[in-house]
Amino acid sequence: MTVLAGIGFTAPWVLLGLLTLPILWLVLRAVPPAPIRRLFPAVTLLLGLKDDESVSDRTPWWLLLLRMLAAAAIIIGLAGPVLNPSRDQQGSGPLLLVLDASWAGASRWTSTLDQIDAQLVEAGRSGRPVSILRLTEPEPPVFQAAEAWRGRLPGLAPMPWQPSELQIDQVLQALEQVEGGFDTNWFSDKITFAGHEAILSALQARGGVTVYQSAAPVMAVLPASYKDGAIQLTVIRSAPGPAATVNLLAMGRDPAGTMRTLQSTALVFESGATRAEVELALPSELRARITRFEIEGTRSAGAVTLADDSLRRREVALIAGTRNREGLELLSPLHYLTQVLVPTADFLDGALPDVLPANPDVIVLADVATLSPAEQDGLVDWVEQGGLLLRFAGPRMAASDLGRDKEDALLPVRLRSGGRSVGGAMSWGEAKGLAPFDEDSPFYGLGIPADVVVSTQVMAQPDPNLADRVIAALSDGTPLVTRKALGLGQVVLFHVTADAEWSSLPLSGLFVEMLDRLAVASAAKTRQEAQLQGTTWEPIQILDGFGALSDAGNLAGVDGVDLLTGPVGPDLRPGLYESGKQKLALNTVSGDAGLTPATWPANVPVKGQEVSTETPLGGLLLGLALLLLTADVVASLALSGRLGLARAATLVLGVLLAVPQAQAQDAADTDFALAATQELVLAHVLTGNAQVDDVALAGMRGLAQTLYFRTSVEPADPIGVDLERDELAFFPLLYWPITPDQPQPSAAAYAKLNAYLRSGGMILFDTRDGDIAGFGASSPNGRKLQNLAAPLNIPALEPVPRDHVLTRAFYLLQDFPGRYVGTEVWVEAAPPDAEQIEGMPFRNLNDNVTPVVIGGNDWAAAWAVDRNGQALLPVGRGYAGERQRELANRFGVNLVMHVLTGNYKSDQVHVPALLDRLGQ
Amino acid sequence: MNAALTLRERSEAEASRLPPLLARAEHLAGTVLLGDHGRRRSGLGDDFWQYRPAQIGDSRRMIDHRRSARGDQQFVREREWQIAQSIMLWVDQGASMRFASGPSLPTKADRARLLGLATAILLVRGGERVGLTGTTLPPRRGNAQIVRLAQAWSEDAAPDYAPPEHRAMIPHARAVFISDFLGPLDEVELALTKAADRGVRGVLMQVLDPGEEAFPYQGRTIFESVGGTVRHETLKAGELRERYLNRMARRKDALLQLCHATGWQLGLHHTGDSAQMALLWLYRALDGGTR
Repeated sequence: MTVLAGIGFTAPWVLLGLLTLPILWLVLRAVPPAPIRRLFPAVTLLLGLKDDESVSDRTPWWLLLLRMLAAAAIIIGLAGPVLNPSRDQQGSGPLLLVLDASWAGASRWTSTLDQIDAQLVEAGRSGRPVSILRLTEPEPPVFQAAEAWRGRLPGLAPMPWQPSELQIDQVLQALEQVEGGFDTNWFSDKITFAGHEAILSALQARGGVTVYQSAAPVMAVLPASYKDGAIQLTVIRSAPGPAATVNLLAMGRDPAGTMRTLQSTALVFESGATRAEVELALPSELRARITRFEIEGTRSAGAVTLADDSLRRREVALIAGTRNREGLELLSPLHYLTQVLVPTADFLDGALPDVLPANPDVIVLADVATLSPAEQDGLVDWVEQGGLLLRFAGPRMAASDLGRDKEDALLPVRLRSGGRSVGGAMSWGEAKGLAPFDEDSPFYGLGIPADVVVSTQVMAQPDPNLADRVIAALSDGTPLVTRKALGLGQVVLFHVTADAEWSSLPLSGLFVEMLDRLAVASAAKTRQEAQLQGTTWEPIQILDGFGALSDAGNLAGVDGVDLLTGPVGPDLRPGLYESGKQKLALNTVSGDAGLTPATWPANVPVKGQEVSTETPLGGLLLGLALLLLTADVVASLALSGRLGLARAATLVLGVLLAVPQAQAQDAADTDFALAATQELVLAHVLTGNAQVDDVALAGMRGLAQTLYFRTSVEPADPIGVDLERDELAFFPLLYWPITPDQPQPSAAAYAKLNAYLRSGGMILFDTRDGDIAGFGASSPNGRKLQNLAAPLNIPALEPVPRDHVLTRAFYLLQDFPGRYVGTEVWVEAAPPDAEQIEGMPFRNLNDNVTPVVIGGNDWAAAWAVDRNGQALLPVGRGYAGERQRELANRFGVNLVMHVLTGNYKSDQVHVPALLDRLGQ
Repeated sequence: MNAALTLRERSEAEASRLPPLLARAEHLAGTVLLGDHGRRRSGLGDDFWQYRPAQIGDSRRMIDHRRSARGDQQFVREREWQIAQSIMLWVDQGASMRFASGPSLPTKADRARLLGLATAILLVRGGERVGLTGTTLPPRRGNAQIVRLAQAWSEDAAPDYAPPEHRAMIPHARAVFISDFLGPLDEVELALTKAADRGVRGVLMQVLDPGEEAFPYQGRTIFESVGGTVRHETLKAGELRERYLNRMARRKDALLQLCHATGWQLGLHHTGDSAQMALLWLYRALDGGTR
């Protein structure tokens, strides 16, 4: 392949054809264009005029240039130009592509694949057999044609672990089985692993090794831990570099169940540091929702750490000694505890024997003195398994002999009988405040409000170990909170009640903070190896190399100890594991891991991962030539005066070059829309019955004329509307005459009608049978109307009330005759709470236009006029009939006014004028 | 049967061509205000001229009693002598007139006929007699003559450059020749000198296409007359422009000289311009001569 300035040619000798271009230039230049024939009466004046030059006229230079360009484009296109041809593969013979394929390379996986693809293309061009070996999932290398591998490329994915020793052994064995030498291109993820050097030397023994790796450092999140009321997050990177900031996202489900970013926090890598830490203090409620942390913008399993039980909501069992007391809610000893725990914890309700098997995280005993031996044993077992027992004192405890002589298993200290009361009416001294917390107390650092005072407490016996167990004391040194460890768990005793009777502590914010510190509200229970001994954990969701969770399917369960100690690999995939009700997250990068960058000996060339894709330009150039020749056709035709032909050619070429789109329907729609919107247009629904449709159209025309003559509404010619086909939104009013045999509109048409009604349109239904039937299902038209209107979104109806705005929108009307007088007209019902104000003639009625008006007076027939403006159909008899027609017209005017102006006339502003006209 | 049918068909086709031309011509003519040509002396006419004392020989019927009753003398009311002129039109029907250089322009023939007919309508309204030169349509008054004129002009003549018709010109009448005058100049000269001999004065209206004035052609071209009788091929039309325009100017100059020699007036109209301006000029030119 010949390469010139970034463009290579697969068939460079074709370029010699460019030498013929000057010859072509001369030839084309000498041939004059065909003469144009022109009619020209003044030719008589031209007779005898000679051309100045004997040289023939030439083809215009721009046309020549066009043709030259086309010819050049064809020649260059046939020479097979390729942009950015890859030139970095030397040598021949088999080529082995080694991929680390671990999570560390997942964020650059696409570019790695692109580069591999480019290498495969090049290897295919030079006919080298290729094999691909993934260290994280080794298979014996099989050398195949590069094309075969190209098809399998998309199937390659990074694994969420680093190559294990077992896999390294497999790789070494597989390499030994390969016969002959081969060159190796190693796509490294920049992270070293055990056995790295062994593989490198094995590969170097067989041929040259070239390493490709990206310059960007690899970053990983360590598992989140919970300490001192905040989530501790650590991000590590493979190489110390300049200062950098990464965003860490806490993801979780919001209350609606949607996965979203709950919190975003920035971590700053100091210059030269490989570790960045941040504390994330979140409201417990939010913290409990977090399911994973991930580095923003990095797609790899290492950049994700899953959160398990340790951050989830705690289960708390509240048990009070005085359960049967029917007191006030505020007197409940558990009231303040409940208030504190509601946002962050789930409550387990029930008696102690029922609660214990549910294995709550915390059990609170408020003034419970006596426990049955079975409960006692169960509680002790539960605490030893890691439970937190929180006890509060109270009158009962003070009165009992609990822990009097010897230390109770479930009490941190021995208690003196009776307790003491200070600051009360019958006692000396004042109520005591709190002493500052010791440095080794879990409460250290909490501010103590001055108004927290304790008036009554139970007293601890001064045992030798008392001092160690006190974590909060009163100002006189008597213990307020004591704690002791019991097995894996602990027992905490508040020497006051959980309610406000003995102290004001539960009323203060300090109480909340203390409970938080005690990890009652939440806690990170770190699991110990002993705890997991002999348990089997079942994978629920596993991470892939890109850090996405997927269903685990039927992967085998793993031993609990392995979860804590074993390295992740194909048999122990990172993800979420479950045993019983507990969940445990196994993360790709464990807590004590570091990232060690891979180092390469000096004799191994290391290249970056920048890839410039090859782009074949031949097709582009040939297409360009085609376009130029097309332009030449048009230009030549235009030059020789056959512009008509040129237009035809352009048309044909346009048809050939672009896909024509049928627009007829659109054009019809546009025409309809234009006709319907240039002026106000009244419309009626086409029923399919020609006679009814004609009368409806004539009626609309008559109404339009009436409006035109009497009001400032000046409608254009009315339109018949096909519900299936036409857009309805253009019409303020639809007149819908009912015939028994009209077709039921389709679902789409109903959807359109409902949208029309919702958006403020009005339909005037006319059963046209006011002479023979009342409103309802008593006539075929009425029944049909019920059928037609059933799917419509029609509100509750009522006969037009006397104060409806229809009665005064333009004319003052009492009834609404059409061709018939009789049936009532129904409109949307007024809201039930509309009441007439004393002294006002009208109620403040519904604040919108009624979407339907239903009646049977055959209004269109009364309105109908022919083209000359003469009434089409007789109404009534003689003068009375004409009066009725006039009233029908007035109803039409009122209706249109109501549609167009809404409840304008309903405004009480008009009342005086209306009253005046009404003669009241 | 057959012949009658074709005649009928043809006449229908002709008739269908007439009304638009007539209507347009009427429309055009409606824009110009009319006036009779008073002779500025007493004679037959409608307008009052003067009262003169009754003389012997005057019929008693001629005495104006309203004037005479004011005194003892008897007066006769005289009217201004108004005479109708005979105006003869010639509109070039040759093939060379059927040319328009652009799709938006009317052909020269169309414009020439429009001008001719509009002038005729104006003149007839003014009470003049209008007709064609030659023997086909002698001057007459009345609206029927307009229809006859329109009919006469609705037929195209075959020859390429029609010579002006100069036969049967009524002495001391007036004439209007509308043409592009691109044909042989001898014929025009002959017609004008003959007219001058008979005391006929008038107007030459040269109707030209803007294309003929500008000559915007380039490249290898074969120029052909509309009738196809004359053609000229050039390899570089653009080179000819200068010389063509010179010749055109010389042609106009020759026409002007001819007009000066014979007392005629020469008008120039381009089909790209409004017809109304040309009509006004034409009417003023005729009017000025008559009064």
